[in-house]
Amino acid sequence: MDAARKRALFEQTVMPHLNAAYNLARWLTRNGDDAEDLVQDAYLRAFRSFDTFQGQDGRAWLLAVVRNTCFTWLRKKGERPTAEFDEQLHGAADQSPNAESVLINQAALGTLQDCVEALPLEFREAIVLRELEELSYKEISDIARVPVGTVMSRLARGRKRLQQCLAGALR
Amino acid sequence: MNCETARRLMETNDPALAEHVLSCPSCMIGTHARYYEAPPGLERKIRQSLRQERGAPPAWRWLAIAASLLLGVSVTWNVAQFRSRANPEQVLAGDVLSAHVRSLAGTHLLDVPSSDQHTVKPWFNGKLDFSPGVKDLEGFPLLGGRLEYFEGHPAAALIYGRHNHTINLFTWPSATPTGAGTQTRNGYHLQHWSSNGMTFWAVSDLNETELGQFVSLYRRK
Repeated sequence: MDAARKRALFEQTVMPHLNAAYNLARWLTRNGDDAEDLVQDAYLRAFRSFDTFQGQDGRAWLLAVVRNTCFTWLRKKGERPTAEFDEQLHGAADQSPNAESVLINQAALGTLQDCVEALPLEFREAIVLRELEELSYKEISDIARVPVGTVMSRLARGRKRLQQCLAGALR
Repeated sequence: MNCETARRLMETNDPALAEHVLSCPSCMIGTHARYYEAPPGLERKIRQSLRQERGAPPAWRWLAIAASLLLGVSVTWNVAQFRSRANPEQVLAGDVLSAHVRSLAGTHLLDVPSSDQHTVKPWFNGKLDFSPGVKDLEGFPLLGGRLEYFEGHPAAALIYGRHNHTINLFTWPSATPTGAGTQTRNGYHLQHWSSNGMTFWAVSDLNETELGQFVSLYRRK
């Protein structure tokens, strides 16, 4: 691919998804400044490895780069995947939330934010890609490099934890 | 209740929503979790950093950097080599010129004043551990000989004349073989060369052409 064509194709397929890239990075890092740096870094990486792009969905392709950039950075920072650990610790204490006792208000929305941020990284990743980016299970499995079954299980467990978190906070 | 209903209820802030939210957090997230939009200025920053990319794959980039580093090192090394070669020669040229000027300034031009090579050459016997080539050169009369000292070695100085000019020809066994060269310092011309393990320096206020003639005459004989 010659340089001019590469630039044009990149402009057309990758550049429009800046918001999706930032949203994912922001949710994964839980910090605006870090997200901004990492998205910039990710775009550079995406451009350098754009030769591996084979005409698939530009947004999913970019999000995979963003995701890897963020995970590498988080690992360097010492953050470890916590999903399995959390599941073992908290999975058993599952109770149906008492719906009647919950009122939805601005505080609850703030709580929702906190509860999503409190999710283990892998759950958070799956939830954000699914609920906010509305990607398919297959696309998420490609991005997170895990089987589709794992994606589904992470989503289910993530939702369950969200329910617990919300119920606990709003009760 | 489906998500669409929930979405509408969210807008009306209906408390009935609560039940659904807790049974369907996906709806809650989809409708109310914040979608972070890229801050203004981020796109500009990204475009700027992308413009600086030449589109070359990183491997080439690193190769190019490595190559230019290597070139830099090699240039530095060569300059250093050149300097370490050039510097002793410059120092020596200075010594040669000083010896020439000194010989003319005082009364000590000749230890053995003679135009006869068969007088001058034997005079060095016992004073040097080598025998200098004393030659009769047409147009450059031999005036005599003298002892000098260069590079930690005794050296022979052979003095030739040309009209009113004096030529000092210094010779001593080479420490290391050096190339030939010509230079001008303070209006004096210097020529040096090596031959048969001997170093030769000729210096004079004679013009460069005639000094060149002297040197080639000497070397031919």
